Amino acid sequence: MHKRLLAVLAYVGAALSLIVAACTPFVLMGAFSEAVARTGVHVDAVYSGGTIARTVMRDGYQIDVYRPVQPHALQNVDPFVQIAFRPAASLPRRLNTELDLDGDGRPDVRVSLVMPRNPRARPSGEVVALSEAYRSFRMPESEVGFSELIAQSNGAVLVRIPVNQPSAGR
Amino acid sequence: MASAAIPHPKRRPPPFRTVGRSVLLTLPIALWALLMFTPTLRSPGLNHHIGAAAAVLFMTLLFFLMMRTGKTYRWRRYFFVTLGFLFPVGFIASLIHLRGSMSISLEHMLGGDTPFCHMVIPMILIPAALTRTVIFPGSILPTATNPHSVAVMIGLWLALTLVLGKAWCSYACFFGGIEEGFAALPKHIRIRKIDPRLRLVPWALLIAVAVLSAALFEPVYCMWLCPFKAVTEFPAVTGVKTAIQMGIFVALFVGLVVVLPFLTKKRTQCGFFCPFGAFQSLFNKINLFEIRFDRTKCADCTLCQTACPTMALSAESIREGKTLLNCMKCGACVDSCKKHAAVWHLKGTPVAVKPERARLLFLYGAWALATMLGGSIIANSLATILGFLPIR
Repeated sequence: MHKRLLAVLAYVGAALSLIVAACTPFVLMGAFSEAVARTGVHVDAVYSGGTIARTVMRDGYQIDVYRPVQPHALQNVDPFVQIAFRPAASLPRRLNTELDLDGDGRPDVRVSLVMPRNPRARPSGEVVALSEAYRSFRMPESEVGFSELIAQSNGAVLVRIPVNQPSAGR
Repeated sequence: MASAAIPHPKRRPPPFRTVGRSVLLTLPIALWALLMFTPTLRSPGLNHHIGAAAAVLFMTLLFFLMMRTGKTYRWRRYFFVTLGFLFPVGFIASLIHLRGSMSISLEHMLGGDTPFCHMVIPMILIPAALTRTVIFPGSILPTATNPHSVAVMIGLWLALTLVLGKAWCSYACFFGGIEEGFAALPKHIRIRKIDPRLRLVPWALLIAVAVLSAALFEPVYCMWLCPFKAVTEFPAVTGVKTAIQMGIFVALFVGLVVVLPFLTKKRTQCGFFCPFGAFQSLFNKINLFEIRFDRTKCADCTLCQTACPTMALSAESIREGKTLLNCMKCGACVDSCKKHAAVWHLKGTPVAVKPERARLLFLYGAWALATMLGGSIIANSLATILGFLPIR
């Protein structure tokens, strides 16, 4: 009796797995994908830059200032703040601006950018720290890394400024 | 007259099923394949029509041959090797179309343009569970420049794993076919003795990459150890570190995917290296289908052990009538067994009572999903290749 019940359950399971297979392209794949997206998982801020703290509007373009990103556990990345100039196509060929990164009303860095003629090329430029909390660097002289870079991505110019003190910008 | 009744030693064995019955059993798969490719067949573009039509015919014909001959591995291998060799073609073409290069630059990582593949899944689980963070430079939802997003690929993997379990590695993985192809090339095995302890390497690697990825917050396997980066995408070589990474990828690919499969006739990367394969083995515990051995028929000839591409059989496991946990249900042992002792089995039912029923129940699900995923990759890659040819 027990063996028979087990066999019946096994065939019911096999039939269910066939139904799952038939539903996969039409319902299940999409449902599972939505469920994954709904869990609230997000791409690590070291790649995405994190969340925008505030936006500064300028003539023809905007500057998004992101919240400082702190590395997790043994992550081999220095803390940084990302700023994004967008749209990249509207930026002047040479740009010089002072920015308040921590929202205290005083400028923290001066960013100078030279936009390349080739929209796929990496812009050059310089970040000069006006506050001890941030580190100066110049591209292309400095080594590009996730916490120190000037790059074009998705129609924006991204600048990542290394943070000296973990508490900066809090 | 009496001599006519003695079977000729060179005469072919009778087919497993009649043509009519085989056609009838193939009909659901033919209809499924048509259903899967109808959108492509309706959309404009001759290359895509040809690719889709070829995929429908290919997948249906192989299933028919499985039904007609009773052999699984032999015909599945044609599909799997075709998939393995066509996948890089379509993938590289799409990378070049979308971003102009096979290499992935820092800019693409910042933009979330890295396609997510199933090999990353074991590495992202711990950080995702603890911090809701995906340690991969892709995007959660699909974008115009990255259709292979994290959510889409995990959704696909989850659905397929429910049906296939570890059989993912022989019906869905688009990498395994490359080494299966190289393993199929030589006639004879050149290296016979393989230390069975090598079977533990994928488990050790799985633990190592899962823990290291969680600690370092980066997909360690993708960054340092994935052999298939050599034929898909790789970090742009910009310095010593990326050059070393590229060197490792190429060395692992040549060693584990080309040379060792050729010498051993085994899927050496899958059997002795792949941490995702080890992870996927865990799903064999909850999957209903398995291979078992009828001890009353088994002659202990070890033909099945020789045939198994991932060393998922040992003398002890055969004595117990079972495979090891890493069995990927490719059917090589069943095809090779002359005594019909190796059989397909549905857990909970008596062993070797209705093995063909268990095989059919498994194959319908597995082949439907293989047609959906692998078939579409084959169709797209064929269309891409046709696009390069000077025909209109």
